[in-house]
Amino acid sequence: MQPALELKGIVKRFTDVLANDHTHLTVGHNEIHAVLGENGAGKSTLMHVLYGSYKPDAGEILIDGKVVTFTSQRQAIAHGIGMIHQDFMLVRNFTVVENVVLGLDGEGGGKLDLNHAARRIRELSDRYDLGVDPWARIEHLSVGVQQRVEIMKLLYRQARILILDEPTAVLTPKEVDMLLKTLRSLATEGRSVIIVTHKLHEIMEVADQVTILRDGQTIACVAKDETSEAELARMMVGRDVALKIRRTSMNRGHPSLVVSNLHVRDDRGELIVRGVDLTVHEGEVLGIAGVDGNGQSELVESLMGLRPVEQGSVEMDKTDITHATPAERSEKKLFYVPADRRGVGSISTLNIDANAILGRQHQFSRFWRLFLDRPKIHAYAKELVARFDIRTPGIDFPAEKLSGGNLQKLILGREIMRNPHLLVVEQPTRGLDVGAIEMIWGQLLEVREQGKGILLVSAELEEIRNLCDRILVMYAGRIMGELKPQEATDETVGLMMAGMSITEAKAAQGEAYA
Amino acid sequence: MRSIVVRRQSPTQSPWAIGAMTAGSVVLAFLVAAILFLPFESNPLQAYVSVFDASLGSWRGLAITLNRAAPLILIALGTCVAWRAGFGFLGFEGCVTLGAAATAWFALSALDEGIAGSIPVVLFFIIAIFISFITGGIWAGGMGLLRSRFGGNEVLISLMSNYVAALFVQYLVAGPMRAPGSLPQTPRFPIETWLPNLIPGTRGHIAIVIAVVASGLVWMLMSRMRLGYDFIATGINPRAARYGGINVRQKYVLAAFFAGGLGAMAGLVEVLGTQHRLLDGLSGGIGFIGIIVALLAKLNPLAVVPAAILYAALSVGGDALQRSTGAPSSIIFILQSLIVLFVMASDILRYYRFRSPFVNSGLTHHA
Repeated sequence: MQPALELKGIVKRFTDVLANDHTHLTVGHNEIHAVLGENGAGKSTLMHVLYGSYKPDAGEILIDGKVVTFTSQRQAIAHGIGMIHQDFMLVRNFTVVENVVLGLDGEGGGKLDLNHAARRIRELSDRYDLGVDPWARIEHLSVGVQQRVEIMKLLYRQARILILDEPTAVLTPKEVDMLLKTLRSLATEGRSVIIVTHKLHEIMEVADQVTILRDGQTIACVAKDETSEAELARMMVGRDVALKIRRTSMNRGHPSLVVSNLHVRDDRGELIVRGVDLTVHEGEVLGIAGVDGNGQSELVESLMGLRPVEQGSVEMDKTDITHATPAERSEKKLFYVPADRRGVGSISTLNIDANAILGRQHQFSRFWRLFLDRPKIHAYAKELVARFDIRTPGIDFPAEKLSGGNLQKLILGREIMRNPHLLVVEQPTRGLDVGAIEMIWGQLLEVREQGKGILLVSAELEEIRNLCDRILVMYAGRIMGELKPQEATDETVGLMMAGMSITEAKAAQGEAYA
Repeated sequence: MRSIVVRRQSPTQSPWAIGAMTAGSVVLAFLVAAILFLPFESNPLQAYVSVFDASLGSWRGLAITLNRAAPLILIALGTCVAWRAGFGFLGFEGCVTLGAAATAWFALSALDEGIAGSIPVVLFFIIAIFISFITGGIWAGGMGLLRSRFGGNEVLISLMSNYVAALFVQYLVAGPMRAPGSLPQTPRFPIETWLPNLIPGTRGHIAIVIAVVASGLVWMLMSRMRLGYDFIATGINPRAARYGGINVRQKYVLAAFFAGGLGAMAGLVEVLGTQHRLLDGLSGGIGFIGIIVALLAKLNPLAVVPAAILYAALSVGGDALQRSTGAPSSIIFILQSLIVLFVMASDILRYYRFRSPFVNSGLTHHA
């Protein structure tokens, strides 16, 4: 039997990123297929190609063995493909039935028969246990129910291939359980469901097949029954960088950053960091490994004063900074290289010189600190560009036009030039090429050799192992244990990233070797 | 022959290209509006000449044009500050009205032997500017506070505040500040408090000088001062600004304060320069036209001056047009709208590169 869907050799290139590099994906009938990968691995691009929003540069799409080409979403829908985006596409002050029929060509010769549509919605709702009331207004429904309305829209349009982009990102744990049950019942009658995610336990719970993407390439396609969370984690984050960097042995100094019993909530108000304790000493790199979305970003944001602390304390050089402003923290010489280079770390349309002083404007001002000291800024920006080898036509060049690697050098360089006591670095090399990675790693180790502490959050195991003196593994908002770099084998870290405690993980490894 | 138009990967930043596109848009608007003259059997070119002759061709016309441009410049400058800081302020009508009322209160105190009558004229103007600026600043800054403290929507709040301010001034001129007589207006200000004349023999007063100086100061604020850097950073990306240690909430309040103050100065030049008394409906919509001028100038504080003068010249010339050719002055309103529309739309051209179709590039020779 032909697979329901096949994507073959899909290539999609954006200005300076190869988002899909001969990616392939095969989905069978009655199957829930998970597409797994870190942020930036090319998952969303691939789904947009499938849904007709992007035109691929190469490759073909086959449905039931027949080649199809889409130039619009409308055509994709006509071929039975339906997609649910992370942000729902619902009209908030319309009822469910109005939302479902929106955009459909009328069946009754232009007459809108909502009662007929409502009857069908109720039928479908009962059949798949969706619990959707056709006459409810969207604005009165919880997020979980709104998502089921989106599913209803696809069922009503008789979609045979359902794509859900990060469907659980906005749901509470209880709603997640309900959604996974629904997906199971949908993958019947020849339908296929594709879920795009980076949450491993959900995959293990619901998926039949898993395709792992990394750097735009298909790494593997495995059956759920023949794999494990640990193996999936490893395939997702493992990156073969033939870089070996020499870390000199150093005696670590006094504790610099001390975090105790930290609790932080995410944007939805759920506790996402649940009691983290950690200490970064002078002259050491402390790594936090883990799959994205286990609370690392929120932890770091709360350390930098960009997110309120729910409970617990943060101390920097023996001063309590739990509730200090970002500016007060930078006075303590606690600096941060954020993961989101374009959204947080830089101001896209401003030039390099303006970005070079972000965070230290007061040091580059004159005349009672009212005016920018432009000569000083220019000299400093030039020094930054030269010292960190930022490839740019000049300092009056917009930051948004720099490639990812050069932008990261600008941000990291800026923070290093501020002479940090402690540097928090999040995903410093995500999406960068080998040359840039080598440069960034070297710079980070140099900071360490000057006796400064570094807290490195990374989903790249290779990076963590090469740079860190101690490694913490984070899962579901907690630290699962501390490893030395030589202990941090792919297998052990993989098990811990999947939620196993350090003793369990080591025991499991011991069995494997015994 | 190769294609003339090539899509760019990212929009051009070249000031020459942007200047040329803007000028081209203005010319195109004039060409399109020319069609409207056809039913009147008048020569569009001649009509345009008469428009500019009326508004710029004589000292008298120039004086009226500049008087009209000055408040537009001040409001447009307020728009530059607020909007570039990411504060979508639409409350300039209210600021103009309240700034005018505060100025009127101060100017009228001269009549009752108050301080305004006993100080040198220069000092009077300095204090008057200060009072009106603070009044508008507090009015608008309060809306900034509502947004940064309580997350209110500044667009709606500021839009609605215009009515509050307008009705409040209506109350003032109908009651507490009303002059004896039948009309709801204050007494006329003493002549010493009028803005001094700039162009002899005309009504042209120094409002335009105040406006041009303000334009230079706002330019300095936005591109040379630390506060301007903080404003722009906040406006482009509040998350990055917060990460950079900028107090984003405070910046909204400050930007609103400056915008309100500049708007109130427009009220000051209206009452001290043109009306010489406070009366109901004094702003007459300039609070919104000023925003349009700022958009026409693409929120650049220096470009605001020529944009406002062009806009004012067309308005002044439009009145003359009806007299000379019989064509309705609404043609000029259409022209003004077309200019704004085309200039805004020309932004899309920044994504294209234009080439001559006949010259081969070096690369294609080998093909």
